[in-house]
Amino acid sequence: MNIILRWLLDLLQRFTRTLDWPLLAALVALMGIGLAVLYSAGGHSQAMLTAQALRYGVGLGALWLLSRVPLVALRGITPLGYALSLLPLVAVLFMGTGRHGQHWINLGVFYLQPSELMKLSLPMMTAWYLNRAPLPPRFTGVLAGLAIVGLPTGLIMLQPDLGTAVLVAASGLFVLYLAGMSWWWFAAALGALAAAAPVAWFWLLMPYQKDRLLMFLDPEQDPLGAGWNIIQSKIAIGAGGLRGMGWGQGSQSHLNYVPEHTTDFIFAVLAEEFGWLGVMVTLSLYLFVVARCLWIAAQARDGFGRLVAGALGLSLFVYVLVNGGMISGLLPVVGVPMPLLSYGGTAAVSLLAGLGVVMSVRAHGGARRA
Amino acid sequence: MRQQRRVRNPGAEAEQFRRRALIGFVGVVLAMAGLAGWYFKLQVIDHGDYVRRSEANRIKPRPVVPGRGLIYDRQGRILADNVPAYRLEVTPEEAGDLDRLLDGLGQIFVLDPAEVERFRAERRVNRGFRALTLKLRVSDDEAARFAVDRWRFPGVEVVPYLNRRYPYGALFAHVIGYVGRTDEDDVGRYGGNQVLYPHTGRTGLERSYEEALRGAIGYEQVETNVEGRALATLGRVPATAGADLRLSIDLDLQQAMVDAFGDMQGSAVAVDPSTGQVLGMVSLPSFDPNLFVNGISHTDYRQLMDDPARPLFNRNVLGGGPPGSTIKPFVALAGVDSGLRTPTDGVFSTGEFFIPGQRRGYRDASRGAGWTELRDSISRSVNYYYYKLAYDMGIERFADYMHRYGFGQPTGIDLVGENTGVVPSLAYKASRSREPWYAGETVIAGIGQGYWIATALQLARGTAAIANGGELHPLRLVAERKTAYDQPWSPVAGEPAPRISDNAAHIRAVQEGMEATIHGRGTATRMAQGASYRMAGKTGTAQRIGRRGAANLDPRTLPYHLRHQALFVGYAPAEHPTIALAVVVEHGGYGGATAAPIARRIFDAWVLRQGTDAIGAPAIAVGPTGVEGTAP
Repeated sequence: MNIILRWLLDLLQRFTRTLDWPLLAALVALMGIGLAVLYSAGGHSQAMLTAQALRYGVGLGALWLLSRVPLVALRGITPLGYALSLLPLVAVLFMGTGRHGQHWINLGVFYLQPSELMKLSLPMMTAWYLNRAPLPPRFTGVLAGLAIVGLPTGLIMLQPDLGTAVLVAASGLFVLYLAGMSWWWFAAALGALAAAAPVAWFWLLMPYQKDRLLMFLDPEQDPLGAGWNIIQSKIAIGAGGLRGMGWGQGSQSHLNYVPEHTTDFIFAVLAEEFGWLGVMVTLSLYLFVVARCLWIAAQARDGFGRLVAGALGLSLFVYVLVNGGMISGLLPVVGVPMPLLSYGGTAAVSLLAGLGVVMSVRAHGGARRA
Repeated sequence: MRQQRRVRNPGAEAEQFRRRALIGFVGVVLAMAGLAGWYFKLQVIDHGDYVRRSEANRIKPRPVVPGRGLIYDRQGRILADNVPAYRLEVTPEEAGDLDRLLDGLGQIFVLDPAEVERFRAERRVNRGFRALTLKLRVSDDEAARFAVDRWRFPGVEVVPYLNRRYPYGALFAHVIGYVGRTDEDDVGRYGGNQVLYPHTGRTGLERSYEEALRGAIGYEQVETNVEGRALATLGRVPATAGADLRLSIDLDLQQAMVDAFGDMQGSAVAVDPSTGQVLGMVSLPSFDPNLFVNGISHTDYRQLMDDPARPLFNRNVLGGGPPGSTIKPFVALAGVDSGLRTPTDGVFSTGEFFIPGQRRGYRDASRGAGWTELRDSISRSVNYYYYKLAYDMGIERFADYMHRYGFGQPTGIDLVGENTGVVPSLAYKASRSREPWYAGETVIAGIGQGYWIATALQLARGTAAIANGGELHPLRLVAERKTAYDQPWSPVAGEPAPRISDNAAHIRAVQEGMEATIHGRGTATRMAQGASYRMAGKTGTAQRIGRRGAANLDPRTLPYHLRHQALFVGYAPAEHPTIALAVVVEHGGYGGATAAPIARRIFDAWVLRQGTDAIGAPAIAVGPTGVEGTAP
């Protein structure tokens, strides 16, 4: 009896030793919050809840699998992964579907959002490339890194999906930053951005994107049209107060005043029902995840793993900041889901997969030196 | 290749990473703090403001339309009630392209082109956010099919409402009238709120009691979602139910009156002489008022309009004509009350009356009745007596007395648009013609011809006054009303009844004359055959559209539509009258021949059955709660 138990425990330990328990605990807590809010926001839809739980399951499976893959192996397949992620990005331009552009590929079983794959493979590829040479990278290294970042970013902008493009680019840029890229680059980039803004405004942005930006500047000018989402979402958040209206009591979201309240705007539901305290708890969990990723990265001796883990952690933070900012009128509305809270498949799976890579860094990053 | 010449320094790389990661983390913490602060401002500092906006968002007042008041007969039988039905409502602002919408809805609902046209017209004058009715009376089948396809039609809803129903159809069409779909005119007449009521009274009591029957709109605080769909009720200002009306009309008597007419056209009014309450009131032919409730079809309307018998024409309220000989009891009363005659004063009727100095004679149907005093003049309808009396009285005094008896003025009946009729007078002629008044016009006024226009209502009211000894009660259809189930019936206050004569003996003489008409040697003795009670009355014959010189025309050569109307006024039982009656039979020939038999049948129906039902008699249960009425 005792032997069987010990054997089972050993087995369990063998299979779970690659997991980083504090990180996993925080993720599970976030997923729990996500399901709770979804249950309320989705109108108690059992089907939505099941589907989302299933995605979490798939994501956790990917997380576990990736955490078990040795970092060397991950590094080895990185260029291939990057190339394979580029393919659907091109394909989606020709055969994609979506409301404001072509974001998804219908794979029969589910809709694939190719840009989500890039969120993981892009920082890995950038890290892979930069890590081949001593750090900090030199001028040519930075240029090549920017090219690696720029290619998929450009493709995503063609879809067009400005929000994701920005976030994907950010994940690669974080790698460059963490690799020690000179501050001058950032200064130059800022300048270039300022110069490019008018160009983008007149030639690159789609009308609805311009609408969103204008609405961001003054949502009240079209309260029933483009400004509606922000206004109603802000009302929901503000009405939540310190303690919130209570689980399932959010009137704004339940009465459909808050648009897309199960996806991009789900954090507004959380804010309405659980108040500022609920927001703080959730943000703290995110902060913990980011901190844990950075800590794991800092502990790693493997340069590639270090860069990937750090960049993924910072990217996660950007998602939270952008989503939390856009639904509260602090930032323009760009379609960015709240990590692990928003209803939807690919984002959750790719995020968890990325954290699987982070765990792999923790499990294997110390064993090998580069 | 240059890269390989550089030497890796893992320690420095790690150190640099840690530095950058730390800076990054500090940035993260600062940004998170900023976000937390922003949410703090929204959720804690500005909380109150947003709560208010959220409330305003979700809570909308929704009008609650009360059920229209019910209408009962004097015994508590329902004459007008409401049945649940569904209507199709479209909120244009939410519905999008109207043509496509109508196309789509046309595949589910049977849409009458006229209704669609009406909807389009309303759409043009209304702002888009108000729901407009596209179709009343949605069938169960249509509602079921719509439920399946509902998602395809934002801004379209099938809404329950109460539909007006008249269970006795044509029987009360001219009393109760009917409601129609509320339109812009009604809004103008009753104010903007009227639009919330699906129906508005168009004719009859439905029209005159519109404001009582419709009740008062209440409001519900309704939680609505962004599409405006109601999800929960949070509070309410209750609607005030429409007042229920209890008529003095008796269903059985009403039916008997219709039956008494058979195929004949005309009208009749029966009144309780002691109160002025109307016991029955028919105008024939009639029509089915249910046709109008949800908007009458073009075909049906044409048919009613084109009918030469004019079923839509309310003969009691709007009609009227010369009273003919039925005016004689009143003229006789005027003669004695004015002091020109005593009841026993007689005149010698030669069969032809000559105005002094004129060669033209006014003939008498009785061809010389000989010595005639008041009672005989009534019972045998001696024209000579009245030619002379009117001539002696003069037109001004004559008109004055006739006004006193209620002619030429409204009877007070609670219906809209009552014809006040005309009493021949100098003023009336002066207003219509530049010719002077001729003495001959005074003479024929004495027998109810000439400029005379009297309505059956006026005749019935005047007759009731004679029957009850002189009180001229205003006529009333509604006896009692109540505003809620748990309220008692409250009587509708009667107006003071002026007396038509201060001399009871004068009235008695007239009464005796009217009794003799039926039970003596009068013009309607056939009417008395087999009667177990005594009646009093007066027959009459008059020109339908005659205005002047009518007495000179031979009724038998007239085209049918101009042929004489036969009239009868009277009351029964003669000793203690419980019913006073006026009957007008169109194209009926002579009063004694057609109108009197009808009156007899009506008297029988009332007097022989019970005839003495007081409103609120204990045996009568009224309304769903069975609350007893209180005796007035």
